[in-house]
Amino acid sequence: MRLSEHYTRTSFYITLAVLVIGAVIYYFAINYIGTQQLDRALQQQLTEAEEYIRSNNGNPQQYDLDRDHAVFVKTYRQLLQKRFFDTIYLNPAEQRREAGRAVEDLVKLKNSNYKVTITVSRVGQKNLIELISIITLALLAGLLTVLFITNKYLLNGLWKPFQLTLKEIKQFNIADVDQFTGKPSKVDEFIELNEAIREMSLRVTQDYLSLKQFTENASHEMMTPLAVVTTKLDTLIQDETLTAAQLTQIADIYSSVNKSSRLNHSLLLLAKLENKLIVEEESIELDVILERKMLQFQELMQNKNLTVRYKLHPKQISASKYLIDILLNNLFGNAIRHNVPGGEIFIGLDPDKLSIKNTGVANALNGQQIFERFHKSKDSQGAGLGLTLVKNICQHYGYGIQYQYDAGKHTFVITF
Amino acid sequence: MKILVIEDEQGLRENITSYLNVDGNICESCNALTPALQKLSDYDYDCVLLDIGLPDGEGFGVLEYLSTQQKSEAVLIISARNSLDDKLKGLNIGADDYLTKPFHLAELKARLMAVYRRKALNTNSKLVFNEISIDIQGRTVEVNKNTIILTRKEYEMLLYFIANKGKVISKNAIAEHLWGDEMDMYDSFDFIYTHIKNLRRKILDAGGRDYLTSIYGLGYKFTD
Repeated sequence: MRLSEHYTRTSFYITLAVLVIGAVIYYFAINYIGTQQLDRALQQQLTEAEEYIRSNNGNPQQYDLDRDHAVFVKTYRQLLQKRFFDTIYLNPAEQRREAGRAVEDLVKLKNSNYKVTITVSRVGQKNLIELISIITLALLAGLLTVLFITNKYLLNGLWKPFQLTLKEIKQFNIADVDQFTGKPSKVDEFIELNEAIREMSLRVTQDYLSLKQFTENASHEMMTPLAVVTTKLDTLIQDETLTAAQLTQIADIYSSVNKSSRLNHSLLLLAKLENKLIVEEESIELDVILERKMLQFQELMQNKNLTVRYKLHPKQISASKYLIDILLNNLFGNAIRHNVPGGEIFIGLDPDKLSIKNTGVANALNGQQIFERFHKSKDSQGAGLGLTLVKNICQHYGYGIQYQYDAGKHTFVITF
Repeated sequence: MKILVIEDEQGLRENITSYLNVDGNICESCNALTPALQKLSDYDYDCVLLDIGLPDGEGFGVLEYLSTQQKSEAVLIISARNSLDDKLKGLNIGADDYLTKPFHLAELKARLMAVYRRKALNTNSKLVFNEISIDIQGRTVEVNKNTIILTRKEYEMLLYFIANKGKVISKNAIAEHLWGDEMDMYDSFDFIYTHIKNLRRKILDAGGRDYLTSIYGLGYKFTD
C-alpha cells in the first residue's frame, strides 16, 4: 500500500472517530442546554400561574396560559416534590400528540391542595437538534470528501519529487559517467534526501573508480615483473650445465608464470568489460569465425577423438573481434576439455542463437555458480575465469547466456 | 643488425640485450625517452624495441620523432598494457608490431626478425640457413633445392627456430607462438612434439641435417 493510502486511511478513521464522538457530545450538550432553557421557562410559568391563582382566587381549572398546557388536579397529598420531566401530551393548538417538557408542583388554594402540571412543546428544540445534526452530518461528509481529495491529489503531488528521486536511484549505474543529480524540490526533507543520495553516490562512484584503477594498475604493474621472470628464465635455460631435475623445476616455473600472466590478462579484461572500456565494434560473420575456430581446435579435438557436428546458418553480428575470439575460445576450450574421450560436440548457429553442446560428465553443473569468478571444477587447471568472461562478454553485447543439461549433454546457448 | 632497446626495467633490458647480442648483432640500450631520442639522432639503427611506459614520457614520442625525422628504423613496441587503443595508436604512427608483456625472448627475437625482414630487406630475397632456403613471400621451403611441403604450423615453427638458432626455446614459448596466448598451454604441449617430429622428418627426408635437439622436459634447440 502506498504511503498516501496509509495516510488517507488513518486520517479517515481518526476524523470519523473524532466527528462521531464530537457529534454525540454535541447532541447531549445541546439537549441539556435546551432542556435547561425549557425548565427555566416552565419555572417562570409555574410562578406566574401560582401568582395568578392567588391573586384571583379563581378556579384553577379555568386557568390556561396561551399555548401552554396547564392542568390542575385536586389532590390530598400534603407534600409533593417539584419535578421536571419529559412527557408526551396532546397539543390542543395543533391537535396532535407531541413531545413536551412538563413541570409538576403542589399549589395550595383555600385549604385544598392542587397538583399543577404545566407542559410545553419540545418540538422546537427537537427541530433545532435535528437541524444541527444534519448540518453536522453534512460537515462530516464534506470534511471526509475534502480530506480524501486532498490526500489523493495534493499528497501525490507533494510526493512527486520523492518518486522522481526513487526513479533516478533505480536507474543509477555505478559504472555510468552520469552522476545522480536529483530533481529540485521545495520540500526540505526531499532536498535533504537528494543531497544525502548525491553525496552517497559520489562516494560510491569514487570508491568504485579507485578500485577499478587499482585493479588495472595492479595488473599492469604485475606484467613487468612477470616479463622479467619470463626473460630471466629464457636466459637461464641457455645454460648447458643444467641438470634434468633443474630443467623440470624450470618447466614448472614457466607454467606458473604463464598461469599468473593469463590470470592477469583475464582480470584486466574483466575490469575493462565491467567498465565498458571496450568500444570498438566491427561486422563479424559468425559462421565464418566458427568454421575457423573448428580448424583452430582441430588438433585438440582429434587428440580426444571427438566428433564434431555442426549446422551453421549465416549470421552477422556487430562486435569486437577480440572479444568474440575470447568468447569462442572459452566455449570451445571447455567443450573439448570437459568432454569424454570419443565424445561429441554439436555446434548450432541460428539467426537468433548459438548453441554449443558437448558430451561430458553425467551430472548437471550448477547453472548459477559456473559463471561466478574463480568457480571451477576440481580437475580444472584454469583460473576459473573463463565462463565469467563469457558471461560478461555476453552481457556487454546484451546477449543472453544459458546453461542446459540433458542426459550427459551440456549445452551453452547464447541468444542474440 | 643494429638494435636499440628502450626499456626502463633494468632486469628486462639486460636480458633482452644479452639475448639479442649474438650473430654479429649490435644491441644498445637506454632507460628513458630523452637518452633514446639522443641516441636516435646520433646514430642509425635497423630496429628499435620500444617500451611505451617510460619514466619521462610515453614511448609514442619516439615514434613521432622517427616519423618527423623520416628515419626508417623498424619499431617493435613492448608494452605492459594489453590495450587495443595503444596497439592501434602505435601501429598508426609508425610502429611495425606490438608485443604485450610478459613475452618470451624467443618470441621477441622472431618478431624482431620478421619486422626487420619486412622493412629493411628486399622482400624478394630468401632467408637462407645452410641448405635450407625459405621464400618468405611465397611461403615455400627448399632443402638442397628440393621443395618440401610444410603445414602452416611446421612452417611457422621453422621460421621461429631459425630466428632463434642456437638458443634453447621452452615449450611454453613455442606453444604461445603457434597457438597464440588465448589458448591454454597445457593442452598444446603434446602437439608440439608431433609437429617437431614431422618437421624434422621432412627436412631429413629432403637430405637436410638434423638441427633439432630436445632439451629434457623443457623444450628444444635448433643448432647449426
